[in-house]
Amino acid sequence: MLAQLADGFLSLALPVTFLHLIGGFLLGLVFGAIPGLTATLAIALLLPFTFGMNVADALVMVAGIYMAGIYSGSITGITLNIPGAPSGAITTIDGHALMKKGEGPQALGMSALSSAFGGLIGAVVLIALAQPVSQLALLFQTPDKFSLVLLAIVTVTIVATGSLLKAATAMVIGLMISTVGIDPMVPVGRFDFESYHLIEGIGLLPAVIGLFAVCELIAQAALPSAMSRAETVAAVERPRRRDFIPSRERLKEVGLFTYIKSSVIGVLIGMLPGGGASMASFIAYAEAKRGARHPEKFGKGSYEGLAASEAANNAMCGGAVIPLLTMGIPGDAVTAIIFGVLLIHGLVPGPALLGSNFAVIAPMFAALFVSSILVFVSVLAFGPIYLRLSQINRGLLYAFIAMISMVGVYASSFSFFQMWMALAIGVLAFLLRVFGYPVVPALMGVILGPYFEEFLRRSLIVSEGDPTIFLTSPASAMLLALTLLFVWLLRIRPARQAKREGAGGA
Amino acid sequence: MKMTRFMSGQVLFALALAALNTVYASQVLQMDRPFATGEPGPAFFPTILCAFLYLACARILFTEIRAEATSRADDAVSDHVPNLRLVGPAIAIGLTALFIVGFFYLGYLVAGFVYTFLIALFFNFERSGAWGSSALTAAIVAFCVTLFGWLFFVQVFGLYLPVWEF
Repeated sequence: MLAQLADGFLSLALPVTFLHLIGGFLLGLVFGAIPGLTATLAIALLLPFTFGMNVADALVMVAGIYMAGIYSGSITGITLNIPGAPSGAITTIDGHALMKKGEGPQALGMSALSSAFGGLIGAVVLIALAQPVSQLALLFQTPDKFSLVLLAIVTVTIVATGSLLKAATAMVIGLMISTVGIDPMVPVGRFDFESYHLIEGIGLLPAVIGLFAVCELIAQAALPSAMSRAETVAAVERPRRRDFIPSRERLKEVGLFTYIKSSVIGVLIGMLPGGGASMASFIAYAEAKRGARHPEKFGKGSYEGLAASEAANNAMCGGAVIPLLTMGIPGDAVTAIIFGVLLIHGLVPGPALLGSNFAVIAPMFAALFVSSILVFVSVLAFGPIYLRLSQINRGLLYAFIAMISMVGVYASSFSFFQMWMALAIGVLAFLLRVFGYPVVPALMGVILGPYFEEFLRRSLIVSEGDPTIFLTSPASAMLLALTLLFVWLLRIRPARQAKREGAGGA
Repeated sequence: MKMTRFMSGQVLFALALAALNTVYASQVLQMDRPFATGEPGPAFFPTILCAFLYLACARILFTEIRAEATSRADDAVSDHVPNLRLVGPAIAIGLTALFIVGFFYLGYLVAGFVYTFLIALFFNFERSGAWGSSALTAAIVAFCVTLFGWLFFVQVFGLYLPVWEF
């Protein structure tokens, strides 16, 4: 394994592979920094191109986008008080307060350094745990796999913002989309309306492009440029590069323990289905405030708060990849699309993946590690330019997204029908967004649907229709208990607390 | 603008979902019963999904109809495109649909150029309100994006894109 890992790092020394990493990293920086665009969208747009790529190059590029996209959400958060991505929302509180004090470059530098630290910890944990977790997952029986997928589906649904019922509805819509085409167990076509196009099912690529790229294009077309936050950056003064290096006093103020604690929180939350960067940064921020020597500074320009949230959200990247590669369970939208990248190249995420294809995946591990370092390098190289990222012409941006996404769908399948599907799913996703139904559960439903159905039916066939099979298997029972625990912790308890506080306040 | 409880967008969308679910259900009914062979067959999982979606739509409808009639939030309006909230998405959807048709009949280069030109023109005009400069910028954008797409898809990755054959 170590030799294959070393080969993974060495593969980054190949000029073509390294260029893919840099290309992905820069794409992630730009998409993460521009409000409204995200790393998820960048990876979704990349998906069609991966068909023509070597699998290692594709994974390396995706890793670069992921790490840079999560980090760069903080850039416009700090400079404009508008996070470029949800992952930068908590950083914005203290980052922008520091910016207003005239400490913008130091805040940007601290954000980059903390992200790099967290990213490195996440990558190291990923490398250390991937193989052991895979071996453990190999012991899973079919009912255990069903309970695992159920855990992912339930958790992704309950952590979605807004109405739980609407999140569950979005998830069911995604699951329904996944049922179109040949039945996963019996050679029978379903929901094909006697069309040979539909009997092949709805491809993952049109679903991803529709849910993210086409939906974003339509949503942006409804948004006046006066509301496009990208127009108000010009007044920021251009600083010198050395101003971005955090001073020794700032580093002491944060402390090594805060970096490590926040990174560990980020990794652990990344490993949970539905965890995500926003949750990681929020919990790490709250924990840093709880243990801080000067909690009163939080919210008014605390480097400790800023460092905690940034270390956690980038540490999440490594953590989120663990369940994807070892158990085939994507925990969020980005890992769900990485799932698609792997499938496109004939690699099925799951317990057997690392055993038989570790050498193919190793460059991705190395890329997560190296791109963490690049995060800090990037602030030194591009710090002054970061401030102008959000001034890109919207016409150029959305013409590019529109064309690349639609042509990408065609290039991946050579099917005009799939282009129509991408448009139809995009319109549906736009309507879901408009009416407050989260889109991420729908994507997870599309991806996990076939596995969910297959494991459910196989288990019931084995038990001759007896559903207690999910309780008699210890691993399955434990996963179901974990699902109930998450429902309690993430939905029922907060709702009760809010009700109690509401009653107390009344 | 005041919206009636029964005709609010939320209610209409929930009804539309229920209607789509009915189309889905009509296909489920054409399959064998879930346990017709003693095992959970192809209709088993879709039946569960279908039932759940009906219940969810009913619950959403119930909640929305019982809720206070709401006034639509005042969105920022565009200086140059009236009723952008509806016109913008309609243009984006319409242009994308036309692009797919054009892509089939005219090929990538022509359809891609026209599509990106019109998308860029829309966004630029919405911002500036000036036709001339918006069209000029859009033409440059369309040329660059179309060329980029051609170089990337065809030259770099060797993928096939249809072209207009005279």
